[in-house]
Amino acid sequence: MRLPRIFRTTPFRLTLLFLAMFSAAAAAFLAYAYLATAGEVNRRADAEILREMNALEALYRRGGASALNQALIERAVGERPFLYLLRDKEGEKITGSIEESPVEENEPGENWTTFQVTDTDMDGAEVKRTARGMEERLSGGELLFVGADVSQSEGFVTGIVRALWGAGALVILLGLAGGVAVSRNVSRHMAGLNDTIAAVRAGDLKARARVRGARDEYDELAGGLNEMLDRLERSMGGLRHAGDAIAHDLRSPLTRLRARMEAALIEVEAGKGDPKQALVQALDDADNVLTTFNAVLAIARLQAAGSAPDQTLFDPGQLAADMAELYEPLCEDKGLDFKAELVPRLTVKAARPILAQALANVIDNAIKYTPPGGAVMIRVRRRSSGEIEFSVTDNGPGVPLDDRNRVVQRFVRLENSRNEPGSGLGLSLVAAVAEAHGGRLELDEGPGEYDGFGPGLRVALVLPRVE
Amino acid sequence: MRILIIEDDLEAAEAMARGLGEAGYDCTHAADGAAGLTAAQKRGFDVLIVDRMMPKMNGVEVVSTLRREGDATPVLFLSALGEVADRVDGLTAGADDYLVKPYAFPELIARVEALSRRRETGAVATTLKVGDLEMNLIARTVHRGTTEIDLQPREFQLLEFMMRHAGQSVTRTMLLEKVWEYHFDPQTNVIDVHISRLRSKIDKGFDRQMLQTVRGAGYRLDP
Repeated sequence: MRLPRIFRTTPFRLTLLFLAMFSAAAAAFLAYAYLATAGEVNRRADAEILREMNALEALYRRGGASALNQALIERAVGERPFLYLLRDKEGEKITGSIEESPVEENEPGENWTTFQVTDTDMDGAEVKRTARGMEERLSGGELLFVGADVSQSEGFVTGIVRALWGAGALVILLGLAGGVAVSRNVSRHMAGLNDTIAAVRAGDLKARARVRGARDEYDELAGGLNEMLDRLERSMGGLRHAGDAIAHDLRSPLTRLRARMEAALIEVEAGKGDPKQALVQALDDADNVLTTFNAVLAIARLQAAGSAPDQTLFDPGQLAADMAELYEPLCEDKGLDFKAELVPRLTVKAARPILAQALANVIDNAIKYTPPGGAVMIRVRRRSSGEIEFSVTDNGPGVPLDDRNRVVQRFVRLENSRNEPGSGLGLSLVAAVAEAHGGRLELDEGPGEYDGFGPGLRVALVLPRVE
Repeated sequence: MRILIIEDDLEAAEAMARGLGEAGYDCTHAADGAAGLTAAQKRGFDVLIVDRMMPKMNGVEVVSTLRREGDATPVLFLSALGEVADRVDGLTAGADDYLVKPYAFPELIARVEALSRRRETGAVATTLKVGDLEMNLIARTVHRGTTEIDLQPREFQLLEFMMRHAGQSVTRTMLLEKVWEYHFDPQTNVIDVHISRLRSKIDKGFDRQMLQTVRGAGYRLDP
């Protein structure tokens, strides 16, 4: 049989656990309180009984059985709170306020017992009360029993115990009710989150959990869930966009490739045209398709991985110096002034080969778009925030403010760059690399316009500080 | 030169065998990892070309088994996976070089050539000599004839690589990988610029040009 849902919730189970723990603690407390109170009450009664017994024994020793008898009669009249029974050697009652001894067997020495006495109250009804007493054989062979009514103190202890039981029951009841309430509350919040998850699972990627603004852990959870869904939606969108973009960008060179080969085939069949030329051309086209494909794949892999794999700690200045060394001759060949300003002994955590590729793309762009006579500068520094910044500044035509967000997108190539070779994926890859390291890509204006150059472009790859 | 191609894609293997055959290599083909291992264990091959993903036994297992058995035949690993981790996996298993699919044919031939000749120059040399070009690896000096040539550290490494592979075509990608240790497509002709600098240092003023450009493939240093 399945329990109702409420009993299967975690808060309810936790409540039960705490109740169990509380009950155990309360039971232990109860037992201790009972033992302490009841013990004390009995001890006090026993002490009084013992004192009375001693007093009576002293009397007996001084005046014999008759003096004792006398005293007992007096005391019974005087309404002392004790119960007495004096019996002779054979066990026959001589005098006393009770008829029979509650002590079952007369053994030598003190014989303690707890027993019930039947009494009549003021209305004449019979009441049973608890009493306690002891019997001793006197030196003359008589048996003397002294007892005391302990029902009052007994009642006191019972009262306490009952109160404790009551309180315990109340606490358990309240606890259960509280558990149910808390469970209901949690379930209600969870139901909202579960609804969202169910909606997303059913295909509605736009479903979001409600954030109530209470800033509690449910809001935190809902916020986290929403953020995750945002990211998922973005990456799904990115994937769809990438798919479209690949289709778009691969379709044209593939179409061209196919058309060229078809035309070449017709020409060769007709006995004219150069088959070798056609094949060389086809190979070129195929290589272009592959280059584009590889770039798209690299971006997709980075985005799918979330964070770059195999990150290590290394000196960013060293990497930049290596890249500078690789590209410096290219700059010189093109008549560009090349500078590197690298702060030494910094530390960055990154996947070195991937970061190298990103830097290469940025430097490559700068060299490609800066006209001869211009300048390219590569820089590595640590920002005051602790972030590590790689930047490449050129004084080429730059990118207009409105286009800066656009050039990072896949396959976006600005009008004036159509003549340059390139897939239009360079900066997209850099942005993907930055994101895969928890960093970002920043595009700014370069040094401004002067001497016919500029305004230039400053591309900065900012990576988070190393803790 | 005998080459064993272990590759499950029959068409790709056939194209590879044809191309390598044109280049003067004698090729044998095995269609899966287990068959490839059996064939390789008979020895007698100069280079093994091993595909990474194959039925029965993958490329990494084939290569690591051979290496465990003490077989040091040079291995060129082929894979459609170009990630750093995959490359490292292949090389730690004992492969000598790694080529990502799809590859250009001149690239494959150049790498196979480099691997097949590697054995002959296995001894540790302190000087390299190609024609009248002489490199002292200890003093780090280079002479052509009697003229001392002053090289930057990277130029020295570049020339050393070219000299170790004298007479063979080396591709731009090989140079980027082996000399600069980068594994990416630099898009532009960075390597060409470095080569032309090196060329201006070792060939300028001499009648015979040693550093040749091989159309469609890369470069070659001729004695």
